[in-house]
Amino acid sequence: MTSASAGNVARMTGAYRVLLRAYPAAFRERFGSGMTQAFADRCRAAQALGTAALARFLLRTVSDVLVNATLVRFQQKDRTPMNWQSIGSDIRYAGRMFARNPIFTTLAVAALALGIGANTAIFTIVNGVLLKPLPFGGERDLMMVWSTNSAEHRDRDTVAPLDFLDYRKAGAFADMQATYSFVVGAALRTAAGTEQISATAVTPGMFEMLGRQPALGRTFTAQELQTAVIVSNGFWRARLGGDPNVLGKVLTIQDHPRTIVGVMPADFVFPYKSMLGPSGFLRSADVEAWLPMAFVDNNNRATGEATLTRSARFLSVVGRLKPGATVAQANAELSGIARQLAATYPESNRVVSANVVPLHEQAVGALRPALVLLLGGVGFVLLIACVNLANLLLARSSARGREMAIRSALGAGRRRLIAQTLVETVMLACLGGAVAAAVVSWSMSALLTLAPGDMPRIGEVRPDGTVLLFTFAVSLLTGLAIGIVPALAASKPELQSTLKSSGRGATTGRGQRRLRSGLVVAEVGLAVVLTLGAGLLLRSFLSVLAIDPGFRADNLLTLQIALPNSYQTADQRRALYATLFSRLDALPGVLSSGGTTRLPLGSTNVTTKVGVEGRDLPPGEWPEVEFRRAVHDYFKAMGIPVLRGREFNATDGPAAPPVIVINQTMARQLFANEDPVGRRVQIGTPSAGTPNPWSTIVGVIGDVRHSGLEAPPSPEMYIPGLQGPPSNPFIVIRTAADPATLAATVRAEVQAVDKTIAAYDIRPMSQVRSEAVSQRRFVLLLVAAFGALALLMAAVGVYGVMALIVSERTAEIGIRLALGAQPGAVLRTVVVQGVTLAAMGVVAGLAIATAFMPLVRTQLYGIRPLDPPTLLGVPAILIAIAALACFLPARRAMSIDPVDALRN
Amino acid sequence: MQVDRFLPLTPVVFEIALALAAGERHGYEIMQEVERRTDGQIVLHPGTLYRALGRLLDQGLIEELDDRPGGATDDERRRYYRLTPLGHAVARAEVERLASQVTAARRLFRGGRA
Repeated sequence: MTSASAGNVARMTGAYRVLLRAYPAAFRERFGSGMTQAFADRCRAAQALGTAALARFLLRTVSDVLVNATLVRFQQKDRTPMNWQSIGSDIRYAGRMFARNPIFTTLAVAALALGIGANTAIFTIVNGVLLKPLPFGGERDLMMVWSTNSAEHRDRDTVAPLDFLDYRKAGAFADMQATYSFVVGAALRTAAGTEQISATAVTPGMFEMLGRQPALGRTFTAQELQTAVIVSNGFWRARLGGDPNVLGKVLTIQDHPRTIVGVMPADFVFPYKSMLGPSGFLRSADVEAWLPMAFVDNNNRATGEATLTRSARFLSVVGRLKPGATVAQANAELSGIARQLAATYPESNRVVSANVVPLHEQAVGALRPALVLLLGGVGFVLLIACVNLANLLLARSSARGREMAIRSALGAGRRRLIAQTLVETVMLACLGGAVAAAVVSWSMSALLTLAPGDMPRIGEVRPDGTVLLFTFAVSLLTGLAIGIVPALAASKPELQSTLKSSGRGATTGRGQRRLRSGLVVAEVGLAVVLTLGAGLLLRSFLSVLAIDPGFRADNLLTLQIALPNSYQTADQRRALYATLFSRLDALPGVLSSGGTTRLPLGSTNVTTKVGVEGRDLPPGEWPEVEFRRAVHDYFKAMGIPVLRGREFNATDGPAAPPVIVINQTMARQLFANEDPVGRRVQIGTPSAGTPNPWSTIVGVIGDVRHSGLEAPPSPEMYIPGLQGPPSNPFIVIRTAADPATLAATVRAEVQAVDKTIAAYDIRPMSQVRSEAVSQRRFVLLLVAAFGALALLMAAVGVYGVMALIVSERTAEIGIRLALGAQPGAVLRTVVVQGVTLAAMGVVAGLAIATAFMPLVRTQLYGIRPLDPPTLLGVPAILIAIAALACFLPARRAMSIDPVDALRN
Repeated sequence: MQVDRFLPLTPVVFEIALALAAGERHGYEIMQEVERRTDGQIVLHPGTLYRALGRLLDQGLIEELDDRPGGATDDERRRYYRLTPLGHAVARAEVERLASQVTAARRLFRGGRA
């Protein structure tokens, strides 16, 4: 165990000891040390299983202690000093207090519901995405097995089929199975026509290894690799009408009859997007049909077959560790196997090794920083709400000072007075929590529509028992937190002075005023932290939006088309594109048009290896570049500049020598100090020893951000559409005006050319670009909302304290005014006093913020955490708001009538 | 002392009795043993365990050990528990009670898929 994790356990054990105070002292004396020890042991065990397991364990521990402590107190009623009857009367009394102050009660409950509700909502997402086990049995033993490529510096590369079969022999694994590292858009023939479904292929033992069974039917057998299919619950409901007698029905997928042998349960999702390779998903969410994967000599992805090869890597591999085996053992063993393979097959495997990653980490690990950030932000919101309410209660408790003093004089002990206040605040918080739980449970789906659709597991997010437990625990803690300061303050009333000051008892002690000012400073400090975070995220968002994607996204319409079987040959497709693009170009409002196979920011990638003429490298070590096709005027329509040489033209036909265009990054990486134009490359490693023909580089174009705005461009190459006409291309159309208005016309034009061509996903490029920043926008929106809430609450806090101070100083100000003080000077004094508090808060907030910088750093782009505009802007805003909040009380102070003030 | 008045045992108490059948154990060992034997079906947390231990001590079904086994290697602060003769008797009685219930149930569901 590392010292860091040992320190963690020590800290948590300390917290546990505090928690044990929920038990009666006698019980604690008897069993406290044993329980603490048992907790520490379990804590170490849970920590070894990872953060998610630890979080679940801690949550359960809290409920375990609270529930059992309550039960112990009930059962030992006769022995403990805890007086349940008095608690009962406290509750009744608090109820009457609430009923007598409906406005205060409503406001307090609303503020708490807001704070607790925001926490519940974010925790619901964190729970569904990060904490809940994946929908597989025994997921802690499930591991993702990747290839690594030391030449390309990649540590999560997909796996070649032959390598997979060798990795399978590793003794640390009880089982290992594979799926395609991408999802196929497969044609499903129906009575109505042809539809596109998302399918993938898995090795037959996959479902068993994942620990899941179909809800209907069975999994694959080895005898039906060409003829079976298992469908998802969603597919079964939507396309098969949820028919329970669907087993045995035949579906025609990619012109291939397949019998349905199973329907998976509704909660089953596999694979998650994050488990796939770079060619990943098309644009859909979940896989609808699984085909059994068969290893053969010829690769035919549509029918679920995989070529036995080492040089093409297209499998995502999942393994189940044997009980007791560790990730380190598995890694060591697979690396050993990989070393042997590298020695035996240097052509393909010299730079390849293996890498084991826990499946849970693989599925959602990338989301953790953003979600932890949100959880932290929303925690701050609740803290501010707590401070605000504590302040409010403090004001009320000073008003109730007489009541407390009388009760104390009549013999109420200090404990009873504290208990009375805590019962009230816990009741308020639990009311707030109940409202929050209700609101969150019916508004969660609305919040989720804001979330990026491609966020893994977002579909599994829903409130459950854990969330309810969390809400309850947070409410309880909140109630105690807001109650403790007023309770302590109220429990030592200065008896004589309070009772003596009789009707005029509106002033509070100096200590109390200091306490309240301290709370305001804390509140402003917390608001600074949140607003700083929101400011940094906003600035990052703006700098991401300012990234030049390498093409012009405005006035650009995109769509995808799928060609039917009547365009099987390249000549047929060439003829189609000639007609289609000349008709599109002729449309009014269209400036230019073109096509490609991978749309920037909106689709996947595919790579190929290239061998540069004159460089003596074994094919296994050829550089890997992204591969695309450019049809018609693609570069012109996209606005991608040609930097060197030329773009494709009509002379680059099927009979002409093969040509390619490369991007700037490829030119830089492969031809550092040379002119790439005129050089020749071989595309794809030679199959069966026959080298591929040489292609000549005719031009260099500007870099385009393909895999997201923030991802640096990769090396990429294009072949001309005339030499390799695609069958499922994206079409891009540069328009003179708003592209959305042309959508219907373009669709009609495609149908006019051939009505069997499916045109889908018609979207303006600006929308594609906007979706590329959806996760960033989601996090920003939430943090900005938290920040706004924090500012509002800080303003209310400052206002409250200043109003109180002014009302207490009425007499003093009256005397000053009577003695000739200028009203303007009075106003200034009050504002300065408030602003000083805010300034102290700002300083405290900046200090706290530095502690949270590492959390925010992962979400920043293009700016540093010490971003001057944010660091100057946020304090300025806070202080301006504080000054505004002081203004009303200050105005009142200024207009005090000296005569009135003195008479009272 | 009448054994029957302790019956039936709650599942948690029965599991603790089973864990202590082989000899004395400290709290964490009981938790581990229960989890291991029920294959993770029953996971005791400290709160549940010690509340049950407290009740069992009060009822005289288990006792705390004065001198701890294991000698120097053992953590000084750990407390060990073992069944008292009464505890043994109660556990045996519970086993008999369960066995007779199972026999009765088998008779009722014979031929079915229970």
